[in-house]
Amino acid sequence: MTETPDQQRKEASAGLMEYSAESLVPFGPIHPALKEPEYFKLVLEGERIVNVIPRIGYVHRGLEKAAESRPWVQNMYMFERTCGICSFVHSVCYGQAVEELTMFQTPRRAKYIRTIILEMERIHSHLLWVGLMGHWAGFDTLFMWVWNDREVVLDLVEAISGNRVHKSMNAFCGVRRDMPENMEDRIVERMKFLTDRARYYREIIDTEETMLKRTENIGRVSADTVEKLCAVGPMARYVGLRRDVRLNDPYAAYDEIPLDIVTRNEGDVHGLLRLRLDELIASANVVSYAVKNLPDGPIRVKIPPIIPAGEHSSHCEAPRGEIFYYAKSSGGRTPERIKSRQPTMANLPTALEMLKGQTLADIPVVLTAIDPCFGCMDRMSFYDTETNRKWTWSGEELRQFGINYYFPERKKKQGSLAESVRQKASHVERAFAEEP
Amino acid sequence: MPRRKTGAVVPEMFRLMLEKPTTEAYPFKPIQLPERFRGKLDIDPAKCTGCQVCAIVCPASVITMVDLGTRKVGDRELKVRRPLFDLSTCIFCGECVDNCAFNALELTKQFEIATPNKADLVMNKAVVK
Repeated sequence: MTETPDQQRKEASAGLMEYSAESLVPFGPIHPALKEPEYFKLVLEGERIVNVIPRIGYVHRGLEKAAESRPWVQNMYMFERTCGICSFVHSVCYGQAVEELTMFQTPRRAKYIRTIILEMERIHSHLLWVGLMGHWAGFDTLFMWVWNDREVVLDLVEAISGNRVHKSMNAFCGVRRDMPENMEDRIVERMKFLTDRARYYREIIDTEETMLKRTENIGRVSADTVEKLCAVGPMARYVGLRRDVRLNDPYAAYDEIPLDIVTRNEGDVHGLLRLRLDELIASANVVSYAVKNLPDGPIRVKIPPIIPAGEHSSHCEAPRGEIFYYAKSSGGRTPERIKSRQPTMANLPTALEMLKGQTLADIPVVLTAIDPCFGCMDRMSFYDTETNRKWTWSGEELRQFGINYYFPERKKKQGSLAESVRQKASHVERAFAEEP
Repeated sequence: MPRRKTGAVVPEMFRLMLEKPTTEAYPFKPIQLPERFRGKLDIDPAKCTGCQVCAIVCPASVITMVDLGTRKVGDRELKVRRPLFDLSTCIFCGECVDNCAFNALELTKQFEIATPNKADLVMNKAVVK
């Protein structure tokens, strides 16, 4: 009696299935598919991913704490270095939070110049991402072509600001450099070129088998899931949610410039590719409009180095989604507290949801699809996996921990606070001893 | 549902075959720097008054002020300070240049400053007489 190959395979695997069950595969922290270190514990059933347990915090830099010991203006340059791709939007967002604490207004021309740079940054970030998607989908030709076109927008940014990535353009209540003269025609012409290229790349990703096979129906999530997990930016717009800070709470000059918010309904990685290329075209239109309608006037109001006491928050739409800054001043030369939240932090739960049900080979594509920036988002919290105990430290407790750590001989004279700190510290030491 | 076909890349491939390579032959040919390029920092010691503003605004702790004794103004003794630059940590933001009231500082177009020895990047022009 002959059996079909399918039956044979079923029979052969019948014995194996008893052993099956889920296997754990560590992914990262150092992995070719990740440009930054991050650890994902994958629970696999055969080749399919059943569950993903992330562990973040490998590149935690403590920027928020560092900000407390620096003058306000120095923090502008430090927060610009939060991200190596969307750098300007961080300084704008931090600057806006601080500007609200002062009584000065940003001139209109400065707002327009900010908008131009912000949108150029979005174009550059999206082009970079499309190239990376081509790379991880095994279509390196696209990667080369897209990154070549990215030079066009980087050259423009360099001509305006003097540097390709870290522009150092922003100042409190203004920008530091004016637009160069006679650049209007050049910018409009280059934006038209980029629009044509984006249309061409859209045709490629829609028709090339290589791209379609790696992106279509991969990483599918429903709009309900995305809404529940509070995704931001393109990750929310690719399932049809109209979530965009530029539309919902306009900053810079977005309230005066006609803006096309792109949404799509596919809900897979291919939809994200289409969405980001469409957004790129919309951004190019915004840049052209802003350059043509640039108002005259001053570009900067000089403000004193001491910021009045108070607290304020600000949010902006970075290429990856909404970023958030909170600034609290006690009326000194340095801030009392700065808090920042980056879009990858908000998008990571959705990414884990996208990974479920995919095969192991799809991980690079799906993880790249959310445009991750782990270095931006990394933060730290205390969690004991054995006892399921979570806790937070107050500023006073953190100070006490520092004193205990650096001056162990001072441990003697302490009350109940220091006792609780020591108790918590023992958990921390154990957690650090058990690195995966 | 998108159409499935190959061939959208073919015309571009032929176009690029006929074009010159986009890579710049940098070490052999000088590259064109934009007008606003920010390169290595330079100081004019004759213009510097030692007011310390550059050291206060610098976000990267490049500048430290060095005491060079005192000088007499009228019947008062004033400290003479001059900046010492450690350019290995410079982030080329230009904040010191913007804030210098005496135009003593300048960002030049020099960018080839890689060196195996960090001490090469210490600029003590204003301190040494």
